[in-house]
Amino acid sequence: MAEFSYLKDPVWRKEILRDAFGKGFLGFAAFAVFTGVLCWWVRGAELFLQTFGGDAELLIKLLPRVMVALSIAALIWVMLPRDRISALVGTDSGLRGLFIAMLAGAVTPGGPSSAYALLAVLALSGADRGALVAYITAWATLGLQRILVWDVPFMGTEFAILRGLISLPLPVVAGLIARMLPLTVTYRDEAGIHRP
Amino acid sequence: MSVGFLVLFAILVILLGLAITRRERPGPIVKRFIEQVAKLLPRMICALIAAGFVAELLPKEAIARLLGAEAGLLAIPVAAATGLLIPAGPVISFAVAAVFAKAGASTPALVTFITSWSIFAAHRILIYELPLLGPSFLRMRALAALALPFLAGVLSVFVGLMTSFGAPVPMP
Repeated sequence: MAEFSYLKDPVWRKEILRDAFGKGFLGFAAFAVFTGVLCWWVRGAELFLQTFGGDAELLIKLLPRVMVALSIAALIWVMLPRDRISALVGTDSGLRGLFIAMLAGAVTPGGPSSAYALLAVLALSGADRGALVAYITAWATLGLQRILVWDVPFMGTEFAILRGLISLPLPVVAGLIARMLPLTVTYRDEAGIHRP
Repeated sequence: MSVGFLVLFAILVILLGLAITRRERPGPIVKRFIEQVAKLLPRMICALIAAGFVAELLPKEAIARLLGAEAGLLAIPVAAATGLLIPAGPVISFAVAAVFAKAGASTPALVTFITSWSIFAAHRILIYELPLLGPSFLRMRALAALALPFLAGVLSVFVGLMTSFGAPVPMP
């Protein structure tokens, strides 16, 4: 199977293992153990077990979502017409690009796994940094799904409407600031090449 | 099965259908999928476990006292800082927000807290943003968005001067 030859490539396999269980992972694992021990020590064994059980339950609920979200991102990654994206939200897209990015962010369903995977695709497709910031800010603060599923039941409808209205200008403001910042941004490409 | 998951699943089915009709090669798609799962999944599991413990360890009642109406404008920077401290998804952060609301936190403080958490939640930065987009993007985005929680807080202070609309009704 030439199609899946990379599966047997030792360099690729090593890279996958390093991505999965390298230094970053060890840091996370150490932090989880540390907070767990602290929780046991400060709050007692019963609450520790209860919290751990809650975490495990949440994880089981999240796993299928993450798998679906990453499958979507992989499909989009391969099929997306890159040139059209850069025309829509590229460096010359102006205010219109920021508004398009904001709208896209507000309607992107799902949690961070889908939004950030899409953000990475957009970044490597030549989207302007203002549009990228506007997109992820809109997803975070204005996401319709989040407002409906979390703000409304936990904080009440009036509060949800107020927070939604107040958040309306935020993505464009952040996008405009992002365009003015004198910083260079590089993304790690698939092949490890840095692209501006 | 939540609505969110069903929507995601429907999008996946549509994209799969599209990929089949366009005769896309499966190799690159599977490769990208495996690479992203390797980058995200092991860290996600650890972060999720740590997040539950951190939320349990946070002194929620003590913070809530600093977010009340008598704290005045000071409540806004405190709320913005607290948003950074919740390294967990909406289940935990909205539960914490409801605890704050019940303990008497002001509406601007709650708006600031939720905005700050949604933009800067530490777990999202560590699990998704750094591995997928890298440190230079994070630095640029953080600077661009730094003022937003304060902006949201100040806007809701102004709204509060004109109307009492938007008072929270926290979940019991």
